[in-house]
Amino acid sequence: MIRNILKKIAEIVLILVILSFFVFLLLYIAPGDPAEKRLTSQGVAITKQVLDAERERLGLLKPFLVRYGEWLLSVIRGDFGISFKDDMPVAPKLYKGLLNTFFLAFTSLSVSLIVSFILGVSSALRKDSMLDHAVRIYSFIANSLPNFLISVLLMYFFCIKLNIFPVIASGNIQGLVMPVLCLSIPMTGRFIRQIRTEVLNQMNEDYVMGMKCRGVKKHYIALNIIRNSLGHIFTIVAIQIGTLMGGSVVIEAIFRWPGIGKLVMDSISARDYPVIMGFVLIMGTIYIVVNTLSDMLDKVLDPRIEKD
Amino acid sequence: MKKRISRKKVIKIKLVIMVVLALSVVFLTLFAGVIAKNDPYQTCATSIRTAPCVDYPFGTDNLGRCIFARVLYGGRTTIAATFALVFISFAIGTVIGMVCGYFGGIIDRILMRLADITLGFPQMVVAIAVAGILGGGIKSAMIALGITMWVSFARLARSHTFSIRSAAFVQTARFAGKNDAYIIMVHVFPNLLAPVLTNALTQIGTTMIGLSGLSFLGLGVIPPAAEWGSMISEARAYIQIAPWAVIYPSVATIITIIIFNYLGDVIMDYREVR
Amino acid sequence: MKKRLLTLMMTAVLALSAVACTSAGVGNETVTDGTETTEAAETSGDATQETVEIDEGNSGSSDKILRTAASFAYASLDVHKEYYGWYTSIYGVSETLFKMDENMNAVPMLAEDAVADGSVWTITLKDGVAFSNGNPLTADMAVRNLQRLAEVNERFAYLADFEMTAVDDKTFTVDTGDVYPTLRNELASPEFGMMDLDATTDFDNDPICTGPFVISKFQPEGDVEVVRNENYWGGDVNLAGAVFYYMQEDDPKLLAMQSGEIDCYNSVSSAALAVYEQEPDKYNVVSIPGARLQFYILNENTLDDAVREAINLTVDKDKIAEYLSGTVSPAVGPFNTNAAYGKVTVPAVDTAKAKEILEADGYMLNADGFYEKDGERLTINIKYYAARSLDTIAILIQEQLKEVGIDSILGVEEDPDATYIATGDFDLALYCMIADKAGDPLYFIESTLMDGAYYDCGGFDDAHCEELIGELKYETDTVKRAELANEIIQIAIDDNAFGYVGLFNSTTVLRPGVSGFAETIPFDFYGIDADTTIE
Repeated sequence: MIRNILKKIAEIVLILVILSFFVFLLLYIAPGDPAEKRLTSQGVAITKQVLDAERERLGLLKPFLVRYGEWLLSVIRGDFGISFKDDMPVAPKLYKGLLNTFFLAFTSLSVSLIVSFILGVSSALRKDSMLDHAVRIYSFIANSLPNFLISVLLMYFFCIKLNIFPVIASGNIQGLVMPVLCLSIPMTGRFIRQIRTEVLNQMNEDYVMGMKCRGVKKHYIALNIIRNSLGHIFTIVAIQIGTLMGGSVVIEAIFRWPGIGKLVMDSISARDYPVIMGFVLIMGTIYIVVNTLSDMLDKVLDPRIEKD
Repeated sequence: MKKRISRKKVIKIKLVIMVVLALSVVFLTLFAGVIAKNDPYQTCATSIRTAPCVDYPFGTDNLGRCIFARVLYGGRTTIAATFALVFISFAIGTVIGMVCGYFGGIIDRILMRLADITLGFPQMVVAIAVAGILGGGIKSAMIALGITMWVSFARLARSHTFSIRSAAFVQTARFAGKNDAYIIMVHVFPNLLAPVLTNALTQIGTTMIGLSGLSFLGLGVIPPAAEWGSMISEARAYIQIAPWAVIYPSVATIITIIIFNYLGDVIMDYREVR
Repeated sequence: MKKRLLTLMMTAVLALSAVACTSAGVGNETVTDGTETTEAAETSGDATQETVEIDEGNSGSSDKILRTAASFAYASLDVHKEYYGWYTSIYGVSETLFKMDENMNAVPMLAEDAVADGSVWTITLKDGVAFSNGNPLTADMAVRNLQRLAEVNERFAYLADFEMTAVDDKTFTVDTGDVYPTLRNELASPEFGMMDLDATTDFDNDPICTGPFVISKFQPEGDVEVVRNENYWGGDVNLAGAVFYYMQEDDPKLLAMQSGEIDCYNSVSSAALAVYEQEPDKYNVVSIPGARLQFYILNENTLDDAVREAINLTVDKDKIAEYLSGTVSPAVGPFNTNAAYGKVTVPAVDTAKAKEILEADGYMLNADGFYEKDGERLTINIKYYAARSLDTIAILIQEQLKEVGIDSILGVEEDPDATYIATGDFDLALYCMIADKAGDPLYFIESTLMDGAYYDCGGFDDAHCEELIGELKYETDTVKRAELANEIIQIAIDDNAFGYVGLFNSTTVLRPGVSGFAETIPFDFYGIDADTTIE
C-alpha cells in the first residue's frame, strides 16, 4: 500500500516536471516580455537602453535551459520566486488567490450540489411526472449555456434592469452572488443529470426490488436509494473539477474576483512567468490528485472495476 | 412491451426532427450570403447602433454593421471551426486510443501519461502562447482547445479496444495470421466507431462553448471577422444603449448549442433502444 | 411524499443560508478589510441606502468623502518605482517640485523656481513645505529623492549622470553636463514625488509625502483609501478623504456611476459617454483634448512613396473620430494644435487624388476592384493591438482603404512592443502612446523620429531631420523649440512616414456638485487635491 502511494506520488511529480517544462517552453516561444510590459504599462515610450537594462535586471537575457533550471531548483527549495510584474514574492500572491478561488469554487460547488441533489433525486423518484420534465428541460438548457454568456445576461438583468446588486462588491457577499450563479448554473445542469441517472440505476437494483416485495414503506425505500446514491457524489464532483477550474478562470476574469484565475489572466498579459508557472504547478497538482483519489475511491467502492 | 416500441418511435421522431434542425442551422449559415442582403463588414457612420428595423432586422452595432448578417456569417465561423476541431480531435484521439488499447505496454503507459499531462495544461496559457506564435486567429483558439480535446476520444477508444481485443473474432483473425494493422482497421475500428462518433457529437456543444468563450476573451477570431463570442464581447460595453447587439448573437449561440447538445442526447438514446 | 419533498426543500434552504453566512465572514477576512462602505452594504444590503448613509453622517462640506474609480491598482505605493508615482499623485498623496497646468506648462508646486545657467540648474524650494509628519522638505532631502529615483527606476537612470548638490536649506543645483532645457518639465513627472526618506519605514505601504492626503487603507492591487493630511503645508484641505475603488474595465465604472456608488471618474469610454449624454442633468461630463496619441507608422521599407501618400490621403481622421464618438479628437500632428509646438499641416483627405497617385505609379484596378501592379495585388499588412480603440481604428482604416481599392489584412498582436514594433513586420502599424509627457515635444520626437529610436521602426531616416533634433535637444528658448519641433514633425508628415490619427480626449464624468478632480488637466496622473469639493 505505502509502496503504491509512493509510486503514485513519484508519478505525479514526474508529470508536473514535464508539464512545467512544456509550459515554460511555450512561454519562452511566445512573444512579449515582462520588462517591456512593465515599462510601457502607462503608455510612455521606451528606449532600447532602458529596455535592455530592465531585461538584464530581471534575468531575461539568460539562456532558456538555465532559466528553467534555476526556476525548478528554487521551486524544489519551496521558493516560487519574485514576480516580474512588481518584484513582490509570488507565493503569497498565489496563496491569497487560491484561498479566494477555493472559497468561490466551494460555494458554487455546495450550492450546485444541494440544488442538484434535491432536483435530481425528486425528478428521478417521480420519473416522467411534470416535475421530472421541467427539471430535465432546465438541466438541459443550463448545461448548454456558456458561462460567459450567463455572466453578460445576469449582469444586464440584475445590475442594470433591476439594480439589485451593487457593482462594487469584489470579495464580499453581494459580489459572490453573480460569480456563484454563473458557475453554478451550468454545473447544476450536469449534476442533475448524473444524479438523476444514478438514482434511476439504484431503483433498478435488486435490493430495491426486494424491499418493494417485502412491503417496506415507500419513503424508507427512497431514503435507502438516496443514501446509496450519495456514495457516488465524489466521483461526480471529480469529473466536474476540471470544468470548474476552467470556468472559474473565465468567471474570475469577468467579475474581477481576486482569485487565482484572475491572477493568472493578469499575469499572462503582464508576462509574469513566475506567477504563471506557479499557477500551472498548483492547478496541475490539484487536478491530478483529485483524479487519482477519485479513481482509487471508485475501485474501493466498486470492486468490479478492474485495474487496467 | 408496447411502451417500449412507442419509446423507440418517439426517439426516432425526435432524431429526425433534431437532424433537420441541425442541418437547417448549418444551411442557414452556409447560405448566409443569400439570406442576408447586407455586407457583414460594411461600416456605416450614419447608422451606428440602429435599433432593429426593416433594413437591419437585428439592428446594427457600434460601427453601423448589420447584426443579422454578422450573426449568420459568424455562425459559419463558429460552426465550421467546431466541426473541424471535433473531427481532428476525433481522428487523432481514436488512433492514439486504438494503438494504446491494442498494443498496451510501454506505448500505452507513455501515451496515457501524456494524456494526464495535457489535461493539466492551463488553456489560457496555451491559447496565448499559440496565438503569439501563429499570429492569433481562430486557428490558435482551435489548437488551444484541441490540445486537451483528443484525450476524451483516446480514453474512450482505448477502453473499447480493450474489450474488442479479447473478443473471439479478433482472436480468430489473429490465429488466421492477419497482421495488427489489418485487425485494427477491419475488426477494431468499425466496432468502436459508433460509441466514439457519438462522443464526437456530444462534444460539439462543449467545443462551441469553448471556442466562443476564447473569442469572448479576445483570443479567438481576428476582427473584422464575425464570431458570436467576439460579437457579444464587443457589444457588451454598450449593452445599455444597444441591447440588441448582445441579445441576438447570444440567442443564436444558445439555440445552436442546445440543438447540437440535444442531437447528441437523442443519438445516445437511439443507440440505447436499438 | 409531498411532505417529504417540502422537508427536503426546507433543509436545502437552511443549508444554503448557512453556506451564505459563513461565506460572508470568510469573504471579508480574505479580501477586504471591512471598509466602511462594504459594512454599510452588508447591513442594509442595498446600494442606494449606502449613499444616503454617508450623506447623512456628514454635514459640513469638509466632512465629505469622495468615492471614485481607479483603472490601475499597483502592488506598492513607492513613489519612485515603476509607475506607482502616477497613482500616489492621483490619490493626492505625493507632490512634485513642479506641476503641469491646463495649458501644459510646468508651474511651481513644491519648488519656488528653477533657473538654468548653461548646464547648471538652480532650484529653490518654497518656504514652509513640510511632510505629513511635520518634517520640513529640505534641499538635501530633495536631492536624495532624485538620487533614489535614479537608482530604483530604469526610466530615470539618466539622473545618475547629473551632479546634484544642496547649496543651502532651500536651494540645490543640478549640473546636467550638457545643456538640458527640459529639466523643469521633467521634474513635473509624478515619479519625482518627494518622500521623507528618513522617516518612511515602509515605502511600499506607507510612504510619507507632502500631499493633502495620507493613505489610511492600502490593499495591494486593490482598493485604496486616503484621509485628509491635517498637517498639509498648503493650508486647508476640503475633503475629509477619498476612496479609490479598483475597477479596471469600463462597464463596472459606468454601472457604479449609475447606481450612485461612485462620484466621479476619468477616462470615460465612448459607450459610457453615450449613456451619460442622455441624462445631462444627472451627470456632468468634462472633455478636453488629452495627450495620448493614436497614430500609425508606415513602413518605408515595404511601401513605396506613392502608396504611403495614397494611404495618408485616404485615411479620414474626422470620420474615425466620429465613430469613436466623443472620446477622441481628430489629430493633425502628434500634439495638441493649441500648443506652440503643435502647428503643422497635413493635406486634406482626397480619395480621387489618392487613386491618381497610385495609377501614376503603375497600379491598375483589377476585376475585384483592387489595385495591382505587375499582376500582384497591393495588400497592406495592418498590425494593431486590441486596446485604446485601436481595434476599431484598424477596422475603419481597412474599410476606408477598401473603398479606394486598396486591399488590406488585419493582424492583431497581444504585445506590440515585442512583436511588430520590434521586428518591423508590418506595412501599417497602429500604436498609441502619450505623445506629450510634460509639455514639451522633445520626448515624442526622440522616441519616434530620431535615428535608432524604439518606435522609429518604419525606416524613416532624414539627415536634415536628425540635425534639427540635435538642435532641439540643446535649444533653451521655448519659442525656438516650438519652431524646431514644428519643422521636424512637418518633415515626417511630408515624407508620409506616419499618420497621426487621433488624440484621446481626457474625459471625466462627475456627479453635479463634484469638482476639482483634475478634469481640466490633460494628463492622466492627477486626481484629487486640496481643492477637490463635493457640494
